[in-house]
Amino acid sequence: MIESLVLIEHCAGSIKRSSLNAARLACRLGDHFALAVLGNGVVEIAESVRALGARAVLLADSPLLAEPLADRYAAVLAAMARRLGARNLLGTSSTFTKDVLPRTAALLDAPMLSDVTGSETVNGETVFQHPVNAGSVSATVKLEGDVRVLTVRGAAFATPVPTGAPSPIEMFSFDPAALPNGTQFVSRDTRPSGRPDLTEASVVVSGGRPLKDKETFERLIGGLADALGGAVGATRAAVDAGMVPNDCQVGQTGKTVAPELYFAVGVSGAIQHMAGTMDAKVIVAINRDPDAPVFQMANYGLVGDLHELVPNLIAAIRS
Amino acid sequence: MKILVPFKRVADPGSYVDQGAVEERKWIINPFDEIAVEEAIRIKERGEAQELVGATIGSEGAEEQVRTAMAMGLDRAIRVDDSRYLDAYAVSRILEGVVRLEKPDLVLMGKQAVDSDANQTGQMLAGRLSWPQATFVSKIEFVSGFTIARCTRETDSGLEVITVDLPAVVTTDLRLNEPRYVSLPSLMKARRRPFEVLTVEQIGVDVQSRSTVLKSSPTPRRAAGVRLETVEQLVACLRNNDKVL
Amino acid sequence: METGIAPTREVFGNIAPWMRVVFYIMICGSLAALGWQVWGRLRLWRQGRSGGFEKDWRVWLSRLAVYAVAQKRVHRKSLGAALHLLLASGFVVLTIGTTLLAVADQGPVNFHHGLYYLVYELTMDVFGVAFCIGCVLAFLRRTFRRPASLGHDNLRDLTLLSLLLGLGVTGFILEALRLHYSHVPGEIARWSVIGDAIQLAFLRNLEVGTTAPLHLGMWWLHTVLAAAFFACIPATRFLHVLTGPVNIASRPQRGVGVLAPLKLEDVEKSGKVGVKQLADFTRQQLLSLDSCMGCGRCQDVCPAWGVGKPLSPKNLVADLRAAMSRWGGPEADSLPGDTIRTESLWACTMCQACVEECPVLIGHVDFISDLRRNLVGEGAFSGPAAVSMKHVANRFNPYGRPNAERLGWADGLSVPTVESNPGYEFLYWVGCAAAFDPRAQNVARCMVQLMESAGVNYAVLGKLERCTGDQARRLGDEFLFQDLAQHNIRTLDAHNARKIVTACPHCYNTLLNEYPQFGGHYQVQHHSQFLAELLAAGRLRPSPGLHTAVTFHDPCYLARANGEISAPRQVLSRSAAVLREMPRSGRKSFCCGAGGGRMWMDEAPAQRVSTLRAKEAESTGAGVIATGCPFCLKMMTDAVATVSAKRPPAVVDIAELLVDGQRRPGEQLRASATNECR
Repeated sequence: MIESLVLIEHCAGSIKRSSLNAARLACRLGDHFALAVLGNGVVEIAESVRALGARAVLLADSPLLAEPLADRYAAVLAAMARRLGARNLLGTSSTFTKDVLPRTAALLDAPMLSDVTGSETVNGETVFQHPVNAGSVSATVKLEGDVRVLTVRGAAFATPVPTGAPSPIEMFSFDPAALPNGTQFVSRDTRPSGRPDLTEASVVVSGGRPLKDKETFERLIGGLADALGGAVGATRAAVDAGMVPNDCQVGQTGKTVAPELYFAVGVSGAIQHMAGTMDAKVIVAINRDPDAPVFQMANYGLVGDLHELVPNLIAAIRS
Repeated sequence: MKILVPFKRVADPGSYVDQGAVEERKWIINPFDEIAVEEAIRIKERGEAQELVGATIGSEGAEEQVRTAMAMGLDRAIRVDDSRYLDAYAVSRILEGVVRLEKPDLVLMGKQAVDSDANQTGQMLAGRLSWPQATFVSKIEFVSGFTIARCTRETDSGLEVITVDLPAVVTTDLRLNEPRYVSLPSLMKARRRPFEVLTVEQIGVDVQSRSTVLKSSPTPRRAAGVRLETVEQLVACLRNNDKVL
Repeated sequence: METGIAPTREVFGNIAPWMRVVFYIMICGSLAALGWQVWGRLRLWRQGRSGGFEKDWRVWLSRLAVYAVAQKRVHRKSLGAALHLLLASGFVVLTIGTTLLAVADQGPVNFHHGLYYLVYELTMDVFGVAFCIGCVLAFLRRTFRRPASLGHDNLRDLTLLSLLLGLGVTGFILEALRLHYSHVPGEIARWSVIGDAIQLAFLRNLEVGTTAPLHLGMWWLHTVLAAAFFACIPATRFLHVLTGPVNIASRPQRGVGVLAPLKLEDVEKSGKVGVKQLADFTRQQLLSLDSCMGCGRCQDVCPAWGVGKPLSPKNLVADLRAAMSRWGGPEADSLPGDTIRTESLWACTMCQACVEECPVLIGHVDFISDLRRNLVGEGAFSGPAAVSMKHVANRFNPYGRPNAERLGWADGLSVPTVESNPGYEFLYWVGCAAAFDPRAQNVARCMVQLMESAGVNYAVLGKLERCTGDQARRLGDEFLFQDLAQHNIRTLDAHNARKIVTACPHCYNTLLNEYPQFGGHYQVQHHSQFLAELLAAGRLRPSPGLHTAVTFHDPCYLARANGEISAPRQVLSRSAAVLREMPRSGRKSFCCGAGGGRMWMDEAPAQRVSTLRAKEAESTGAGVIATGCPFCLKMMTDAVATVSAKRPPAVVDIAELLVDGQRRPGEQLRASATNECR
């Protein structure tokens, strides 16, 4: 019996690696799990996940599923879960899974827990930890019912490593006429910078005036952001100096961000800036001045010349 | 067009430290729901909607938030009297009852509550109603004679535009608008406007939460910085301790 | 002096009786026209809300004496002030003189003779010349110097000046002609200096047969000019001569930094908050609009106008007055938004420089406050400032930090609270900035060290402290302010606070001058005053002299709103060898740009008030800029970093300078860390 079904995410023909991390939790919840791949012309995606130890890779391939429209995907996914008789439906937290999985939960009359960071067994039952109150509290929750839907926080679970025998791909068929058609896709505007949006990113790297100019800012701050797959932010001083456009400004009169990881590079820690990032989970400060207020607010501090430290950091991350 | 705007009463995150004394907390309308209220009002101000109904679930204390929402400009409001801990599953079923009662053309609500951070209720409600959904919306406009909503959504990979046939559920994201300021004079004016209190029985719903919180513990508060010497140390900490790398 | 003929003059000497009748009809007619127009303005003023007038006649008298007669606010070293002095004194004397003549002529006793007459003639001539010179200077100033403050209403102003100069000149010509045709003897005529000079220069060779008709003609001209002048007064800036003193006398008595409270009952009854239509202003406010003569001095000192923002106090008054003149029928326009742009209203830093400058005591800031109150009351308030005010409402501080963290700055120090030290003497009001802004927290730490050094028995409120509400009030959320004020007063009274010291001028001003509106009466000192006293009493050691010159940036709410200029300088004189003053200091201090809620708003780099002030500070060559306000500290720190090419001057609070003296004698002040790594 397959206890868990894991929804895989892909974009522009390639798989989103972090979406696989939910399989880690699936392994804890039962002996067997299956992967679900939905889309149009995504056989290769399904092929690429055969080596993760799943009992099966369910593939729903149809032009109607070319775009991830929640009403259609949820209908298909719910049907998949029902056919498997799965107890758990999982995914890695992302706007895609947040859009599709709760709706699927409703179709399955199941409760859902978002952003799971861990699990433990209490009285023979598995219970889950997840952050609430913008991450300031960790709650341990028990879910009732035959079916449970869970999303996991990508960074809390490692990506599964390839194992043994390849999983079989099962074509999942459904009746196209039964699919909801109240939603139509119009267009997508992929970000030109290729970097995630500042307010949604799980990693943000911000720079201040000491970066001196646009080129240095892009090289160091942009470079570090790219190494981490994060977004670029800035203090007002950096924006005023023309190093970055003003939609990068983080702070009281700019954007408020709450990433997992926030780098404050060459940032003094004035409250007008830090107010925009107080809910970040981990703040790292890099500054030349050991007395800069930012160090009081950061989890980790590195005192030194950012022009040396940042390139070293980028290298260390990539290795 | 009739718009239903469900909103949640939450504790203002910065009004207390850790789990502080309950009295210290200030209660506000969930910021994302406030954005939904504001958007509904703007739609009405443009002449595209005729009736705006707010709905919240909670005890009498929630009436403070009802007044605030009405002060912003809702026409009517409903408080479903229920002081239990309710998860998204239960809330979506209660709201389903309210929707069947009120029969709105559009349900406009915040994408998530800043206390539970679930981001599920709107989607679950849409699933139960079998209505189309548009989530994390940063722009909404009506086309085809107000039968279709054209929504811009904020997703990880960029802005996506979809259309949903009405009736639909739309959840709001931060950039949709900036809610208007409410001060005492507007609250006073709103005091005269009536709102209903209903029980779950009157709505015809009998539901329990399907999740139980066994315990909560504060995540360690950010202590003053640990000074590190090398970037290698930093990377190691971030990878192993905090698991953010 | 003895002569054959007693010194006197004939009145209406050349004028036939029927002409005198016509004269009186004309003058009465033009005065009636004047009166009718003034009545028209009065009817407009009466459409305002009743009240708002100063009731104490002693205040009227003293204000009139100082501002209307002595014209305290007009005098300064400038061409405009000089010509005004000439014009005003000349006009007043000439008017009094003419009146005296009429009284002497028509009244029971004719006193217009003898020595009195001679002195009279001399006086009239001297002031007549002053008057004419004033007119000429006015013409020259607006033609060649063209100050921006003058405005564009050239037609009306030129008409007025022409009438005035015309009256002056024809008056002298008339005098000369009269002296000639009435054969006034030399010793008497001499006293009419100018007329005599003209007579001797131009009329000597003429016959009476010529000069008498000339006199008549000139007399008619003079009469017509006078009648035209009276009738034109309300249409020109001369109206301020009538309305100015009325405003000076009737303006409600209130401190410069104090805004008037709103009553919740009034708002409930009227359904209105603040001012949306002209009728929502008080009658006193409406009449003050008519007392403006367009001198533009308010605009010259306005920091917002100085950086190119769309706010000019002069234009504000002019626009409101124009709206008042257009008044009639149901009003469609909303004052805030339609008549006055909202950007103009939000640009104000409420520094009160305009109010301080105005020679007729117009309250520009009150207008702006009333209009802002309406905007906020109707929800037309958004942006970072609105977010800050939501924080003030929910978290009791505009920084959005949890109020329970109020003592975060005291980590590592043992700071007594009102609970741990209930027998305290001084309550140190920390304020939101020193509690939550890392840069300003150092000031609180310094204050504590200074008070410990001086053996002061003090305590802080800690978590019990909430924002004084000053910024909420300035931004226009009056009831949020009142809520905070009433809560703070209850807290202060519950802990028997009597003497309060604070390092923030905004808190100082509000606690001292505005909390009494809600029953909170305390002896409040700004830390500069407190520290100056401690130094004078020898309880604090002065710091060794700084090696560089210091300049003091006077905070608006300390220097201008509360007149405290010397205390910070007394403190500084103990820390620095050389104190240099900026061109605009003391009561004339130039705002840092943070007041009026602007601290919480974003600003385009090209339009930052603080940049102007930073350049001014740099121009003194001082290596250290000292101030006594956490907002000024923040604004100046940021501004000098952008303005200075090389090492910017250090920006410090006076308490920080003093602490250096208590702890580390001889060590030179190091530049603020904030400057280096921003």
